[in-house]
Amino acid sequence: MIKFFVYGLPALFVALIVASFLNVVMLTTTKKNEFSIGMLGEPSTLNPIKGADSAASQVSGSIFNGLLKYDENIEITTDLAESYELTQTTTVFFENENEALTALLRLEASRSRWSGWQLTSVRLEGNALLIKLKQPGIDASQEIVGMFDGKVPLQVIRVETKEPPGAALEKIRASLGGGKIARVWVEGSTAFEVTVLGSEEEAKAKIAGFLPKSLEPNITLTETQPFLAEPEVLFRLRQDVLWHDGEPFTSRDPAFTFSALMDESVASPRKPDFDTILFVETPSPFEFRVVYRRPYSPALSSWMMSILPAHLLEGKPQEWWVENFDRKPIGTGPFKFTEWKTNEYVRLERNPTYFDGPGPWLDGIVYRILGDQLALRLAFETHQVDFWSVDPWAVSGFEKDERFELFSMPGNSYSYIGWNLKRPPFDDERVRIALAHAINIPEMVKYILYGHGTQSTGVFTPQMWFFNPDVEPFMYDKEKARALLAEAGWVPGPDGILAKDGKRFAFTLITNNGNEIRRDIATLVQDNLRQIGIEVKIEMYEWAVFLRNFINKGNFDAMVLGWALGPDYDQFQIWHSSQANPEQLNVVGYNNPKVDRLLEQIRQEYQRTKIVSMAGEMQETIYKQQPYLFLYVPESTSVVWRDSFRIRRPVDGEWMDTPIEMTKAGWSYYSDWFYRPEFSSKLPPLKEPASP
Amino acid sequence: MLNFILRRLAISTVLVFIISIISFLMIILAPGGPNPWGELNPKITPQVKEMFRKKFHLDRPIYEQYLLNMRDLFTGRLKSIKDERPVINRILERLPATLTLNLYAISLSLVFGLLWGVWAARRAGTTADMLSSMGAFALIALPGFWVAYLILIGLVNYTGVPVLGTQSYGIDFPTFANRWLDRLWHVVLPGTILALGGIAVQSRYIRATVLEAMHEDYIRTARAKGLPEETVFYKHALRNAVRPLITGIGSLLPALIGGSLIIETIFAYPGMGRLGYEAVLERDYPTLVALNFIVAGLILLGNLLADVLYAVVDPRVRLE
Repeated sequence: MIKFFVYGLPALFVALIVASFLNVVMLTTTKKNEFSIGMLGEPSTLNPIKGADSAASQVSGSIFNGLLKYDENIEITTDLAESYELTQTTTVFFENENEALTALLRLEASRSRWSGWQLTSVRLEGNALLIKLKQPGIDASQEIVGMFDGKVPLQVIRVETKEPPGAALEKIRASLGGGKIARVWVEGSTAFEVTVLGSEEEAKAKIAGFLPKSLEPNITLTETQPFLAEPEVLFRLRQDVLWHDGEPFTSRDPAFTFSALMDESVASPRKPDFDTILFVETPSPFEFRVVYRRPYSPALSSWMMSILPAHLLEGKPQEWWVENFDRKPIGTGPFKFTEWKTNEYVRLERNPTYFDGPGPWLDGIVYRILGDQLALRLAFETHQVDFWSVDPWAVSGFEKDERFELFSMPGNSYSYIGWNLKRPPFDDERVRIALAHAINIPEMVKYILYGHGTQSTGVFTPQMWFFNPDVEPFMYDKEKARALLAEAGWVPGPDGILAKDGKRFAFTLITNNGNEIRRDIATLVQDNLRQIGIEVKIEMYEWAVFLRNFINKGNFDAMVLGWALGPDYDQFQIWHSSQANPEQLNVVGYNNPKVDRLLEQIRQEYQRTKIVSMAGEMQETIYKQQPYLFLYVPESTSVVWRDSFRIRRPVDGEWMDTPIEMTKAGWSYYSDWFYRPEFSSKLPPLKEPASP
Repeated sequence: MLNFILRRLAISTVLVFIISIISFLMIILAPGGPNPWGELNPKITPQVKEMFRKKFHLDRPIYEQYLLNMRDLFTGRLKSIKDERPVINRILERLPATLTLNLYAISLSLVFGLLWGVWAARRAGTTADMLSSMGAFALIALPGFWVAYLILIGLVNYTGVPVLGTQSYGIDFPTFANRWLDRLWHVVLPGTILALGGIAVQSRYIRATVLEAMHEDYIRTARAKGLPEETVFYKHALRNAVRPLITGIGSLLPALIGGSLIIETIFAYPGMGRLGYEAVLERDYPTLVALNFIVAGLILLGNLLADVLYAVVDPRVRLE
């Protein structure tokens, strides 16, 4: 008996181990027609209005659709919407109806200029003149309104109360259109905004009259406007879209999604994107109208937000969502959710009734939740995931290997050294430009990125449509750097280090621990600057400490960081001078009135050519001033097993079968078209591409 | 005995709460905080951060947060900051995987520890025994994660077999047996690596206790009776020597449930250890509070169990 424990059991275990090992070694690899994607983290939720982590948006992107989407050139195109139309209503208020009528007549008299303003119609409503424009924006409205006399200024008043205002707010709403109150917008349960005609005192008194003392209202003036400019978007929705549970998609769904986003108990991280919306409405089941409080052109892209199914969620409490929808989503996308095993995988299957195109051809997608880069690599090499985003240092190893194919695209991110512009010597533009000449960026790209990157020329990255390709990068030129520094008063001191007025040019460069690339950047900068006589001390801190004690407080000389950007041109938070307080993102303290103006204007501009020229000017101005030392835009590279997937799409009425390719937007958009070549016989007949 | 158990239980309860306070302070005072969208995100306004902090009581004083967490823990309403699901559900769904892995690893270390210990004891003093001792200490000393990575990379480079998770992906299994052997492999691999240190430790225990037993009077008596050496060793010496093995089971309780942080994370294995590891990285305070509480409780319970088992197995021990 005891001998069995000593010898029998170990033998049994050995047998088990050997059998299981032989089984995996000998398993024939008949792959399924599936795409397996490795992810570094677990999605927090698959509810698109809650999840802000990249894993969550990656998965929910295959399950849901927005009204709009980015195409392969990262430009806005329609998705659930069939088309959309942008217009604007500009409302001017007058002292009395006579003045308004005079203005109307004046406008009628200058009909010849209507097309230049894109003016389509004008209407009188009491003492207000409502002007319809085909193109949202501020410029045309300013020109038109400039012609009128007897206008009444509008005071935008913000009210915060201790308790939800309830009846008081209802009373204010009721007096809308009564001649004095132009607009009410509710910001949250205890804050709202009222736009009132007249002087500031009058307006404040008017609002105070509505609010009982018990609410302890805090009434402040936000701004004074000459008129109301309210852009609107009318989406015409596709009528052939079905939710995964078979229910039809209608305008009720985007309307519900909007109300869920604004719900404070959801605490959606995407709420700020929708804060400029005044209201939404559904004129018909397939029309969805959005009216904005002011021109804000980046707001259009917020309708790429995934749309939620109203028929499932309306009226359900938050707790119900967590287990019943957030982990079992129903969408309209190319793939249907089937299973989520925590810390293992999320499995999706083909949606045969997908509205966009004949695909998808894949039977499903499996998102595998793995821990780290090494796990991803091990999973990729054992055919457990189908592609892997390679670190720059590993790219050359894969390039030589016949079994793999590599795809590279410049990423939408850049690395930089931020100078603290509030501290000398970095407050001197000549010094910053000298430093830009002193750093050998091509060498940095060569040794840190193994050549997989390009020198950055400012705040936008090359594959964006508003990127300015004419900005010349600063070239590595030690002599020029020395000359510029000498011009600024920095000359070599007795110990070989530059000095000015007895002060040595020495500073501390900080970055966060655990990021080897940033550490290497700091080391190269230290070496480059040493060569022209500048002493750099490098300090590294744990990420949370780095942010809390140094970055958020603006307590540093210089730091190495990077930006991963979104695909829009609005960088107000990063560069506007009003955003330079502690905890805000203009941490270097950049302040240029010209750039401030551009940042303010570009958000209100809807015309593509004007956006391109403003963005270009902004990029050039900032780059020339070097508040950051813009380093490089890294390439992102993905590796796949050769010939493991093909793309199938209709070309001239025939199926065309081509190797996979990567677009500016990566290839997530094409994943609907992937399939494994060994399954081609099960697909509709196809035509091979003609040889060139 | 009952008295002893009750007294120990009372002391343990107090102790568990003290541990929970200390561990809560350690978690909450560490730099950083829960931040699902990443710092320096231009899209996140202070209002959103405020909404988020309110939602999870992060705007309250620390003692209040502790009390709220404890209240929710005992009423079962404790919710994770990461996905807002009840923490108890998050723990329960990972329990089967962890139990499987640890049951396998613990039995493996006991079984092979016994084999190795017996083997070494029978050769006590020989060169082979010395070499095996060195081997055992080397295994105990080697860091588990290092061994794990070496084995993983070696296996992938030379055999190309899948090594991560709980099953192979993207393939159709020809038979039911293949599917289950595949699953077994995904327990066997991390489990064996997890057990390596345990095997070495157990083998040392067994060897020492067996050798000690061999010097006892009853062994001399048995030999004097003229029993064959075989019988003396297995029936008389070994039977008495395995007593520490049985009592040791009590102290294995926390390991059984708590799981292994490092091995589970390396093998992308969906267990409690990985839950804890990720909760630390995400600063998911409610999940950490629950995990700490459970593991601390299990450790104290395990110690108590060990003492009781000791008294049960060995009549010479009395619990007062």
